[in-house]
Amino acid sequence: MTAIALRMFDADLLKLRKKRGMLIWALVLALLPVVVLFTVKAIQHSSTPAQYGPAGGTSGYADGLRLLSAFFGPLAAILIGVEAGVGDSAAGVFRDLVVTGRSRLALFASRIPAALAVCWSIMIAGYLLVLLGSYAFASNLPTPDGALILNGLGFTLLATGVVCVVAVGFASLTNSKPTAITALIGWQLAASPLIASISSLGSARDGVLSQSILHFSPIHFGGRADNVSMSGGVALIVMAAWVAVLLALGAWRTRTMDA
Amino acid sequence: MSEQSNNAPAIETRALTKRFGARTAVDGVDLLVPRACAFGFLGPNGAGKTTMIRMLLGLTGASEGDMRLLGHPVPAEREVALRRVGAVVEDPRFHPHLTGRENLRIVAALRDSEAAARIAPSLARVGLSERADEKVRRYSLGMRQRLGVARCLLADPQLLILDEPTNGLDPGGIQEFREMIRVLVEQEGRTVFLSSHLLDEVEKICDAAAIVDRGRVLTQGPIAELAGGGARHELIIGVDDGERALDVLAASDAVREAHRSDEGLRIVLAGSAETAAEINALLVSAGFAVTRLEPVRHSLEHRFLEITSRLDAPAEEVRA
Repeated sequence: MTAIALRMFDADLLKLRKKRGMLIWALVLALLPVVVLFTVKAIQHSSTPAQYGPAGGTSGYADGLRLLSAFFGPLAAILIGVEAGVGDSAAGVFRDLVVTGRSRLALFASRIPAALAVCWSIMIAGYLLVLLGSYAFASNLPTPDGALILNGLGFTLLATGVVCVVAVGFASLTNSKPTAITALIGWQLAASPLIASISSLGSARDGVLSQSILHFSPIHFGGRADNVSMSGGVALIVMAAWVAVLLALGAWRTRTMDA
Repeated sequence: MSEQSNNAPAIETRALTKRFGARTAVDGVDLLVPRACAFGFLGPNGAGKTTMIRMLLGLTGASEGDMRLLGHPVPAEREVALRRVGAVVEDPRFHPHLTGRENLRIVAALRDSEAAARIAPSLARVGLSERADEKVRRYSLGMRQRLGVARCLLADPQLLILDEPTNGLDPGGIQEFREMIRVLVEQEGRTVFLSSHLLDEVEKICDAAAIVDRGRVLTQGPIAELAGGGARHELIIGVDDGERALDVLAASDAVREAHRSDEGLRIVLAGSAETAAEINALLVSAGFAVTRLEPVRHSLEHRFLEITSRLDAPAEEVRA
């Protein structure tokens, strides 16, 4: 069982890592904003040091982490998760996998670790870039300590991993790449922040995935994120519910659809 | 695999039915495909061939009926049944961003532990070894068909199910494909079930066939029997005085039907093929110079058109 699971993981990983267009976009989303952030801040500091502090240090680290884990990283995770969820159907090969006799649930399940492996590889690269910028441009500012570095890494992997898994489930449910990408990015960029900012919704806003994820951030996010506060337990339950429901729906669709 | 499974027919269906809303795509099909033969599933486009194959492979559920693959009930034992089945359904699809070899790696990962070792031999067998490391998006349809067959071979299949397998192949490729199928059947003892709307293809490749139209199997059996059309024996006759000979033949008990055709006189014998000698003696004794006496060789195409055209006739005529 373990051997076949490893082979299936390896096969799904092969499909994803050779999908060059998707990988380039995911890398651009994860790395470019961080590069731009530190470059712009470094230029500002060098041109007007009195007004702008050094680009790096703990403050630069916090800005980079926000950009990577809460904004562009999840977008990259969506691209990867959707490709993993719907890639076989989009290429028309799902039926050829089904006729091997392998269970459809096993086919669905093997997409998840492969998507996470690609997603986290890219996020680790992005995170290393954030760390590099934080130290390289720190000047006289304090730099992140070991605990913050580990917490930040854990948060980045959690934030993007949850979104990636949800994207695998949602894409498998819709079985359409354009639909899944549009809906998930729309939800992430527009609907979630909008719902979180409507104070009249009260505790109903706890159900917004991105808000529950932000609860585990080691840095202060400010803005709309401060509007919604929830306990760690509630945040954990909300995240688990999103993951469980979307995976269950994706698995159900994969199991029951005509291949 | 149990002994019972090894002796069981490759494919067996009983009253297999598939409905899409009010439309019945496959209508109570009873099919028996023996082992170690090439079996054609012959019918016009839209006859229900692909739907039938999709049900057999568990790609879509049956509305009614039972089916067995290699002795295993499907879908109850689908996973075991499909372990030794290779299939190409409709046009062969692959991940276009991967090479031919990588595409096979993906399917081999889902097969048994020996499947990865079969990738290179399978590619060699279909003549794709030299192009195996090119991306599939650069493959022609014919190359994709061949890669589809290579993908089937990864399972070391006892049964290959091929849906319109020669689509996109050039004449040379079709010839190679026929030869490969015959080797798979005759030398390796595998069963090949291939659907086609091309009569010529089925006649040249297959040992037996089922003729299907509008979701129903109209007849099935060995190709020679199907093409022979049962007990119907016909002769084409060349004589010096056709008009008078037609009267003589029409009056004979040995002749069921007689008429003129472009080739001469054409008659349907009332008895077996051996009565042709009686016809010759009859004509010679009546003073005719017989220049031609040739049995009509029925092709599967003739039989196919004959059978399927009956569907358009009123019910009473069909019974007659």
